[in-house]
Amino acid sequence: MNLRVSAKAIGKMLAATSLWLAACAALQAQDLVVSKATLAQPGGQLVVSLRSEPKTLNPILSVDANSREVIGMMNADLVHINRDTQSTEPALAKAWKISRDGRTYTVYLRRGVKFSDGATFTADDVVFSFQLYLDEKLHSPQRDLLMVGDKPITVKKLDDYTVEFDLSKPYGPGERMFDGLAILPRHLLDVPYQQGRLAQVWSTTARPDELAGLGPFQLKEYVPGQRFVLERNPNYWKTDSSGVRLPYLSTLTFLFVPTEDAQVVKFQGGETQMLERVNADNFAVLRRNESTNGECLRDLGPGLEFIFLLFNLNPLDATKSPDIAAKQVWFRDLRFRQAISLAVDRKGMARLVYDGRATPIWGNVTPGDKLWLNSNLAHPERSIEQSRALLESAGFSWNANGDLLDTQKKPVSFTILVSSSNAQRSKMATIAQDDLKQLGMDVQVVPLEFRALVDRILNTKQYDAALMNLVNGDVDPTPEMNLWLSSGQTHLWDLGEAKPATPWEAELDRLMEAQMTATSFETRKKLYDQAQAIVAENLPFVFLLSPNILVGAQSTVGNFHPAILEPYGLWNADQLFISPAGSPLCK
Amino acid sequence: MKKNRHNALLIGLIVSLHLFVIFPGFLAPYDYASQNREIPFAPPTRIHFFDSTGKFHLRPFVYAWKQDSGPDSGYEQDRSRAFAVRFLVSGAPYRVIGGWTSQLHLFGVDLPGQIFLFGTDDFGRDEFSRVLYGGRISVLAGLLGTSIALFAGSVAGVISGYYGRWIDSLVMRLVELFLALPWLYLLFAVRAVLPLRIRTTDAFLLLVGVIGIVGWARPARLIRGIVLSSRERNFVLAARAMGASDFHILRKHVLPQAYPIVLTMAAYLVPQFILAEVTLSFLGLGVGEPIPSWGNLLAELQNYSVLTSYWWMYLPATALVALFLIYHWASSALQEHTSVSA
Amino acid sequence: MRKAARRIIHGLLLLAGVSILSFALLDAAPGNFFDELRLNPQVSSSTVAALRRQYGMNSSMPVRYWRWLESVARGEFGYSLSYNRPVGELIWPRARNTLLLTTLATSLAWLIALPWGIFEAMSCGGWIDRVGGVMTAILLAIPELLFGLLLLLLATRTGWFPVGGMASIPSGQETASMRISDLALHLVLPVAGLVLGTAPILVRHVRSAMAQVLGAPFIDAARGQGIAPMRVVLRYALPVAANSLISLLGFSFGALLSMSLLIEVVLGWPGLGPLVLEAMLSRDIYVVIAAVMLSAVFLVVGNLLADVLLYFADPRIRTA
Repeated sequence: MNLRVSAKAIGKMLAATSLWLAACAALQAQDLVVSKATLAQPGGQLVVSLRSEPKTLNPILSVDANSREVIGMMNADLVHINRDTQSTEPALAKAWKISRDGRTYTVYLRRGVKFSDGATFTADDVVFSFQLYLDEKLHSPQRDLLMVGDKPITVKKLDDYTVEFDLSKPYGPGERMFDGLAILPRHLLDVPYQQGRLAQVWSTTARPDELAGLGPFQLKEYVPGQRFVLERNPNYWKTDSSGVRLPYLSTLTFLFVPTEDAQVVKFQGGETQMLERVNADNFAVLRRNESTNGECLRDLGPGLEFIFLLFNLNPLDATKSPDIAAKQVWFRDLRFRQAISLAVDRKGMARLVYDGRATPIWGNVTPGDKLWLNSNLAHPERSIEQSRALLESAGFSWNANGDLLDTQKKPVSFTILVSSSNAQRSKMATIAQDDLKQLGMDVQVVPLEFRALVDRILNTKQYDAALMNLVNGDVDPTPEMNLWLSSGQTHLWDLGEAKPATPWEAELDRLMEAQMTATSFETRKKLYDQAQAIVAENLPFVFLLSPNILVGAQSTVGNFHPAILEPYGLWNADQLFISPAGSPLCK
Repeated sequence: MKKNRHNALLIGLIVSLHLFVIFPGFLAPYDYASQNREIPFAPPTRIHFFDSTGKFHLRPFVYAWKQDSGPDSGYEQDRSRAFAVRFLVSGAPYRVIGGWTSQLHLFGVDLPGQIFLFGTDDFGRDEFSRVLYGGRISVLAGLLGTSIALFAGSVAGVISGYYGRWIDSLVMRLVELFLALPWLYLLFAVRAVLPLRIRTTDAFLLLVGVIGIVGWARPARLIRGIVLSSRERNFVLAARAMGASDFHILRKHVLPQAYPIVLTMAAYLVPQFILAEVTLSFLGLGVGEPIPSWGNLLAELQNYSVLTSYWWMYLPATALVALFLIYHWASSALQEHTSVSA
Repeated sequence: MRKAARRIIHGLLLLAGVSILSFALLDAAPGNFFDELRLNPQVSSSTVAALRRQYGMNSSMPVRYWRWLESVARGEFGYSLSYNRPVGELIWPRARNTLLLTTLATSLAWLIALPWGIFEAMSCGGWIDRVGGVMTAILLAIPELLFGLLLLLLATRTGWFPVGGMASIPSGQETASMRISDLALHLVLPVAGLVLGTAPILVRHVRSAMAQVLGAPFIDAARGQGIAPMRVVLRYALPVAANSLISLLGFSFGALLSMSLLIEVVLGWPGLGPLVLEAMLSRDIYVVIAAVMLSAVFLVVGNLLADVLLYFADPRIRTA
């Protein structure tokens, strides 16, 4: 055997190795994210319906959900919350370090990433974007998300690929605050910003060449009143594990379909391939035809929405609103609210209004939030006898007709406001009304237009009770601070209190402030558990149900992994693909 | 002679239909709010004369609905027990007028049986009873709204037509203004604006007021036309020459000319105003739960599942259409009648 | 001429009055555009207050009205709070879609109603009249809402017609004729709904106008002279009846923008209706006002048009 390896062979090997190393280095220099999803071939068109037209493509101004959904497809953030695992993962930031005192975040950016128009992404874009978000003159709603301890965060460029953020206090949720904050192209927006025109650019009529983003898709076409068409961004910074660059889809179309029923019809007809959220009745109809139509329908269990009864506990001037002030005497008695909580038929509501696809809740954290739910809270069974006993102990009594009378022997009668545009909550209110009749209460349900309802609750405070819903923006408790803090602007039952009105609200304030600045998850969980217990005990809201998240997709849609956080089906749009006709994918 | 028989039939229909909706308690076997949460969306109860052995019964009977076993939640008849249909039964108490309550119902079945002639809605409430009670709200809204519109319109029209000149111009400009706004937008806007009364009776009266306000313009213009033309008639001039006061002239000479037109307008307007109430309630801005009106009964059809699966939820529409047909017939008859005598 | 000028000034004053009334009504409605934002726990009230100030929502009504007038003069017609764009840009495409629908439906309705009404009047108590009378009565009694729902049911059950929208998603390879037939398919349901709602009323009016004329002595005279019945109707009776028919035409024109709101909402046609409904519910006031003004303009123009046509059609007016 000739062990003498020829110089040529060595030379060739060296060349090959160095080429390979160079290629690796080049790929590494690009810092691409490798997704772990099922492999597929690129190509395919997905059509999804939106309830109403997005109002703007400008991330600085957008607030409504539809705009955010489309913007989310065209832009990327530094750190992203994986909707499936509900924890953070690196996005445009490939790593980050949090200082020991929790007040400095050093973020290391990916290299070699390009915007959809080919410009290079650097720390300048990050600094510029946050400058816009924090600019007081622009009044961006996103600014409020970047306030820690009443002071905005500051951002500093350390070098071309490193950025530092400074906070005035340690921040519990940590890097979660970066989720959803789109990084904008400085080279396109700097000029309008300097000229003070930033609010006018990137509206829905912007031309595709005026926009550039780091998201999986870019704008192709907008037809007013009908649809938005997005196409693949060839410079997207993710590949699959075989090196094919994502996204697989060549186009993603958003069709404007104003009513849910029309959305269902289009889905059944195959005009759209995904139904991101559907109500229980339509879900039942779709279920009936599932096997024949080849659809994937999923009931994901409770989401983060909670529906509740709100009682007016605002201190009102008894001379100006004598009726409501008189009723507040009942509302303020905890036993009254407890009695109501024991009397409502949550299971009946879930069955009749949501076809069983809703979960009764007794606190503000739903079972959909597995991380933060305090599972030790009591779930008392419905009991009219116990309710009556509670009312009796509070000094209420019944007359011969069975009507409930208060301590002054006046009949207990109040109204529950609901939004006229939501049929399900109106139905829940009707069931509640019937339940409370069994306690002898005379309850009327009054449907009001949504804006008129909100006006009463937030501005005039002229209402007795209301049945409403709120959706937590994230599993983390901090985004909901304004709801629980006495001074918070959505402290609905008692708005505008500079100081806590009751001892338990004071304790709640303390716990929520503490969890916001604590940095270890265990500490925060303990604090938040206590907060949940206080809320469940003192019933500022009588919690009713959390509706399940119901989604669907045609069976030709691959990598369909819906989650309970928005956007339910499109959160992994960069991994979705359309299989060739006739090969069902979802099981 | 045939005309007279036609007219008699028509009047009979109108009166009886309005009796239905003014005293629904007697005809409806159940209260409009009593829920049966175990049988939502049950189809209409089937009435049998022949039992399972083929034997004929003179007195009709029904079976109860029970949940279908199996994944698809349908209903099937529970043939284990038959409930006879009886007439003039004692049932849930209801208020007839003022404080007078009664328990007499036209028909019913022995407990624990139930008879749902129009099926049940999403809370298991008897749709037939709700259609009857709902008619009360819708028809009353139509009648009251028409009265308000006609009254306001008449006053405006009379003043405008009789006194003329700048008063006339002002009122007519206002009329044009109201007519220029699309009525649906106006309905929304006025509904949103008027102070929100929360008690149900107040809310209903508010609704009626809104409908009336939207509709005063056309009657005003018509009445003004009549007043204008009769103002110059000989007998009015003569009366004035004899020193009759304005009021006297209006009452005795001008207004009688207007009555037949007003009546015809009323027959034409009532269905319009019922429709206005139905539209408002359909869009969620009418009376609230649990009080039924034909509008919010039909609003259920906005759900795709209801639209396609539960045909009995369309039945309030048949009541509506029937009522409109009768009013239409009355309006045509009145038009012929008045044009003949004019 | 003077009369025409007076009419035009009249119309302009009316439009001014409509704009003031709309402003006042919308202003008085409880709630405003930013209330929904205030309900969001993640947005601070200072941001909301600042936004309100930025859009000038805190100024008094006369100030805002004046600013709106200036905006109209510039061609912007106010500013949409939802869409962050001048209302004009928003409204024209939608108004075009609505006009497409309503012009088609109104033309079709007239094409059906005119001959039918004439035949009914000629038949006068005969079987055509009676059958027609019953049919129109039933159609009149069924509210337009119900037509919309039934058509929706038809579409979903049979799948013959697309539901909602104006066009299917183009794959980029359609020919012009394919696009037109696609549009036509989408138009069938909303047009059907509108025609079913408006044709019966037109039939009734045509019939009553013609019947009145046909009862006149000169018609008897014409018939007595042996002139063919169709010629009597078309050449002698119709021109006289044209008086009231032309006013009706003016009304039809005037209603072009506002008649289809319910049908558009129920059947999902991307016209002015759904835009205005959404704007009304979210208190995007300038959009609502612009839509109302546009409808009022059509009404005024319709009346003017009717007057002009009457002037040329009816010699009695010319020589008066």
